[in-house]
Amino acid sequence: MNKKEAEMNIGNWEMAALVILILCTKIFLSFPRLMAESAGQAGWILSIYVSLITITVFWFMLRLYKKHYGKDLIDLGEHIGGAAGRIFVGLIIIGFTIYVNSVILREFSEDMKIISLSISPISFVSLFFLAAMIISAYVGLEALVRMNAIAVPIISLGYIIIMLGVGRYYDLSKIMPLFGLGFKQIFINGITRISIFSELLIVFMLTPNLKKFNNFKKSTYIGIVISSVFLTISSLVYLLVFAYPHATESFLPIYQLARLVDYGSFFQRGESVFLLIWAVAAMLYLSLGFNVLLQSFKKTFKLDHYKPLILPFAVIIFTLSLMPPNLMSVIELDTGYLRKWGFIISFGFAILLFVLAGLKKTKKKGEAH
Amino acid sequence: MKKTTILFLIALISNILFSGCYDRIEIDDQAYVMAIGLDKGKTNFLRMTLQIAVPSASGKSSLGSEEENGEGEGPKSVTTTTVETPAIYSGFNMVNTYISKRLNFSHTKALIFSSELAKEGISEYINAFYRGREFRNTMFIGVSTDSAEDYIRKINYVLDVNPSKFYEETFYSYLYTSFNANTHFFNFYSQAKCSCSSPVATLVGVDKIGSLNAYSIEYSTFMEKERENYLEGDFTAGNIPKEYKNKTSMMGLAVFNGAKMVGELDGQETRYHLMLTGEYNYSYLTVPDPESEGSFILLNVKQSRPPRHSVKMMGDTPIINARIFLEADILSIQSGINYEHASKMHKLEISTEEFLEKDMMMLLQKISKDYRVDIVGFGKKIKGKFMTLDKWTEFDWKKKYPNADFDLVVDLKIRRPGLIIKTSPYES
Amino acid sequence: MADSKNKLRDFFIFREPKDYKEFVLTEDKQSEKRSCQQSEEKPKKNRGLIKKLIMPETDQSSVRSSDLECLEKTKNEDKKDSKKLKINKDIKVSLEYMKKVYSVPKNGDMVVREFEIVFRDKMVPAFLMYFDGLADRNLINESVLKPLMLLSNLEIKGDDNNVVDYVKNHLLHQGQITLTDDYEKVIFMINFGGCGIFIDGVNTAFAADVKGWEHRGVEKPSTELVIRGPQEGFGEILRVNTALVRKILKDDNLIVEDIIIGKRSQTPCSMLYIKDIANDSLVDEVRRRLEGVKIDHLFDSGELEQLIEDNTYFLSPQVMSTERPDRVARYLSDGKISIIINGSPFALIVPATLWDFLHSSEDEYIRFPYANLLRGVRILAIIITLFLPGLYIAITNYHHEMIPTDLLLAIEASREKVPFPSLIELLIMEVSFELIREAGIRIPGPIGPTLGIIGALILGQAAVSANIVSPILIIIVAVTGIGSFAIPNFSLAYSFRLQRFAYIALGAISGFLGISIGLFIQVIWMANSKSFGVPYLVPFAPPTSDVNGGQVFRRNIWKQETRPDDLNVKSKKKQPSISRRWKYNKDEN
Repeated sequence: MNKKEAEMNIGNWEMAALVILILCTKIFLSFPRLMAESAGQAGWILSIYVSLITITVFWFMLRLYKKHYGKDLIDLGEHIGGAAGRIFVGLIIIGFTIYVNSVILREFSEDMKIISLSISPISFVSLFFLAAMIISAYVGLEALVRMNAIAVPIISLGYIIIMLGVGRYYDLSKIMPLFGLGFKQIFINGITRISIFSELLIVFMLTPNLKKFNNFKKSTYIGIVISSVFLTISSLVYLLVFAYPHATESFLPIYQLARLVDYGSFFQRGESVFLLIWAVAAMLYLSLGFNVLLQSFKKTFKLDHYKPLILPFAVIIFTLSLMPPNLMSVIELDTGYLRKWGFIISFGFAILLFVLAGLKKTKKKGEAH
Repeated sequence: MKKTTILFLIALISNILFSGCYDRIEIDDQAYVMAIGLDKGKTNFLRMTLQIAVPSASGKSSLGSEEENGEGEGPKSVTTTTVETPAIYSGFNMVNTYISKRLNFSHTKALIFSSELAKEGISEYINAFYRGREFRNTMFIGVSTDSAEDYIRKINYVLDVNPSKFYEETFYSYLYTSFNANTHFFNFYSQAKCSCSSPVATLVGVDKIGSLNAYSIEYSTFMEKERENYLEGDFTAGNIPKEYKNKTSMMGLAVFNGAKMVGELDGQETRYHLMLTGEYNYSYLTVPDPESEGSFILLNVKQSRPPRHSVKMMGDTPIINARIFLEADILSIQSGINYEHASKMHKLEISTEEFLEKDMMMLLQKISKDYRVDIVGFGKKIKGKFMTLDKWTEFDWKKKYPNADFDLVVDLKIRRPGLIIKTSPYES
Repeated sequence: MADSKNKLRDFFIFREPKDYKEFVLTEDKQSEKRSCQQSEEKPKKNRGLIKKLIMPETDQSSVRSSDLECLEKTKNEDKKDSKKLKINKDIKVSLEYMKKVYSVPKNGDMVVREFEIVFRDKMVPAFLMYFDGLADRNLINESVLKPLMLLSNLEIKGDDNNVVDYVKNHLLHQGQITLTDDYEKVIFMINFGGCGIFIDGVNTAFAADVKGWEHRGVEKPSTELVIRGPQEGFGEILRVNTALVRKILKDDNLIVEDIIIGKRSQTPCSMLYIKDIANDSLVDEVRRRLEGVKIDHLFDSGELEQLIEDNTYFLSPQVMSTERPDRVARYLSDGKISIIINGSPFALIVPATLWDFLHSSEDEYIRFPYANLLRGVRILAIIITLFLPGLYIAITNYHHEMIPTDLLLAIEASREKVPFPSLIELLIMEVSFELIREAGIRIPGPIGPTLGIIGALILGQAAVSANIVSPILIIIVAVTGIGSFAIPNFSLAYSFRLQRFAYIALGAISGFLGISIGLFIQVIWMANSKSFGVPYLVPFAPPTSDVNGGQVFRRNIWKQETRPDDLNVKSKKKQPSISRRWKYNKDEN
């Protein structure tokens, strides 16, 4: 089993597809509304701004990371502080992943309840996503990444169809005035919104599976750029169709957009078909997070197998996802905390690790002399 | 051990499967509501009318059931019920108790308010409809000149078996008559929530007259327009001189300020409104003959290009420049004058343009001075000049619009004269 | 007359029943000796479900050490057995032994012919044995008996002192002769249509291959009919089949390796591959799997397929089977390996990915636009077979807003009178349809297909009139059935027919959410499985260099320049980049 896991190879396109999926699934949740709320009519400008900052920060991180390529974050933690460092880093990553997974699981279950299954209890709906997480954990990360590589083009196609399908409702006057709630609101308060890209932390946990640094660099850049394009398009189209104060009202922006697609009497009620795409995207996202969680746990505590951990962690995530009392508190947890302060962990903490690891290496070199 | 596990799993799965899960509802366990009518209630806040489709009749042709219906009873493919209720969902609850199936609103096509209720404001009800996931964005909003319940009950589906098709086809008739507008729910809601425009709703109504002979010209609005007789659009719904099995009609728009109704537009004005907003498709236009008194020229007018508006501020007065581009085909020349000839055609174009401009200016003045709302959406043109939202809210377009000065140019080109390219006179 | 009187009398008078002993199947006394094999055959205690989930298996096959010891013991015993029984010089002893082995008076079709050979003026007794019906009588008479009995009278021209050499080199003018010195080989050859020749005074015997039983000739393939393309199909004889493939490929690098599978049936199988195209490790793996199959009897390639495939419980097939030699030749030239078994007209082809099952043999022979249209139609057929009933249940039970209003009211009108919920209706119709299909296969002759069609029509019509099902359901079930017939590979069609029940169940549980989790599980299961080392969903997962390589939609024939990447073949290019020289160079050839 150990040998099999270490040998798993991720190709270029698979890595890029993985990055696209983990960054873009939030489009189906509350991302466009978040942009509209933060910056008014200039939500799309905020999205471009945030993407540019993220790409810069990521470039900086890659420069620091280059010398340690091949080690993931937990290995770096061990390199810095031995067993204590490893456990500390591991616990932070595990905590972060559990938080994100349970919040997103709850959000997607509420999503599905609103769209179609309004009377079923939330635990019943969550069971489907849990089943997907558990089965993908049994099958392994390799098959999951492969399925991802197939599914991402199809999901993107569905997404583009929705975006183009509401074409006749585009109205340029809805994104005027151009700078929405003001420069300060966009550019200064909006910096914390780079937490939208906080799932990039997962990428650094998968680096042992890509052999060459250049491949890693290329595929993650492609993934981030395509994700930024998708995110910007989604917030732009949402604002073109729903004017500003109206745009902050709906919980599921893309669902509302899909409901508007209406060409003649036949292509008019198709939003349930998009439900298929969203559900599959949600399952892939949750499964990826779950798998990374298991791998990190296994690595942190140096266990031999991760399969016994599957059921307990599934139960933990399920229980945590049921804890918030209502939908508004879940959204608050997502947009208020994760998407505001998440960058501290995903970018700040990672950069700290890289810097410390770099220092330790030079310190060692210094001692050798 | 293995066998018992498998048996247990099979039992569990078939239990879930065959007993029906939480949300599993068969199609024939539901009643599909086609239209909702809301009136001011006598004993309570709201008087709600629901029109429910009866499926077994929709499957057969309607020809058999026509003879059995008296006038005004309604066909058998729908059934209508009315309740007095404090609010919308309470009404649904009440109706569910005596209707044998569960109500389902995902196919509701029309939402009709009475004008009394609309004048008081319908924001409470619109909120409920927007929040519910079953109500679709493509529901048509209509305002009935008298009572919504009357309208819904008096509809007689002569040519349609399917009630939903009736609503769709009637409400989409603006594409070829231009006497109502595309007022479905999404348009209404987004216009209501934007500070740059105001919403409109289609005007529907029940005929006031029993037969054509009882019609009086006071029902028409042509006198306000300084005309000698009424043209085809000088009515609002319910006032049309017609005699038909279906005693209801649709013509005109109800003008709203936010969610309160402030006025009405009749058919002609609706047509001009569509031309101004760019939603005009095509329709038949009647214009007076410039060279012959008392004769008309009938044109088939289309929009050749979207209209071009621009808004400039002169101090606190907006100067609104509106340019409308139309093209027309000649359908009929009553006087027999050879308008197909180039010079005469030019004269015809100019006289039509003047006719249209005069009427449109009256409409614009009426909307801005009398009703004081911007339903065409001129505010959108000036919104782009501001950098941030604060400056736009400071500017307060809604206060400034009533003072606007209009500069209107209609550009009409006659393209084709139909089959006849030269009219020759009758020899008598 | 007397009979009926007797019966009447028995009816009224009681008679004691005759003593009639019933047959009871007792245990065989011989089986007590095979203790080791019994412990092998004892069913393995299945680990409980929870244990399986929690505790990982330390090894792929949980073999216990006692099983390994037993395996060693039986191997040694086998070796010992084969060491005995060399051929005895005395012909009488040999004759006795052979008669005992074949239970000669009992076995009616065994022929024993004793005769004498003249060798250097000595009369040497000899005998031959063969199975009547398996061996070609004329061949034995002409090529074995005649020379041995008649021509041995001629002058000896050489100087062979040995009878055996003399007979082998000069007398027996038969093409395939093996010399052997133990009985087992001779017995093996006789079992398969050979003829054993024993000569007195020597301890070697001859086994001549004189096969000549009645068999079906080369006919049209019964399952894969094409309009354009060769109309030859495999038969049941191994050598005839391999010859059919060889005559298409005419490649000296084509290797036809012989493997015997089945301890008792000794079924000869052949593994075909092209030596300088196929990957060596793939060849070794196939050989390893074939040689590692230990069963008593192997009858058909279907059994062999199930014995060598990667995952028995996977719902889709992982090994392809075909009846056409031209298809086998095409796959061999792509770098795949084919296995042909004696007695089965279906050849196996490994490795097989999901897209291979979408191809029919006609795809390459007809023109490019039509071929892609057909592929599109097949993909549509798969989608319909798998999803249509599940989607119908999901939409009509959960997502009512998806149906256009007119259709909705029509469905509601027709469903008013039906007493069952739509799920039960659908299951009734699906089950009846499967019954009709199964029944249609068994009925012989011209009645079969007619009965199927009439049965379906009448049943459907009657069910609708009786208001048991609604008419729209008949359409759905019929279209699903037709879709499953359009899938080119019947094994894949079976697998999808099975899976659509899972989708019906999932659609009934929670609409599109259930179907999406079904999709998720299916794709991830497929993405995880491999067929002989090749991932099942290649070239999409993992993406190979030729994503557009002709698996889903066929490529232009002059653009098919490389062999598929996933097989890691030795020689990649099969066409130069300009394969239509006539188009570009008018003067040169």
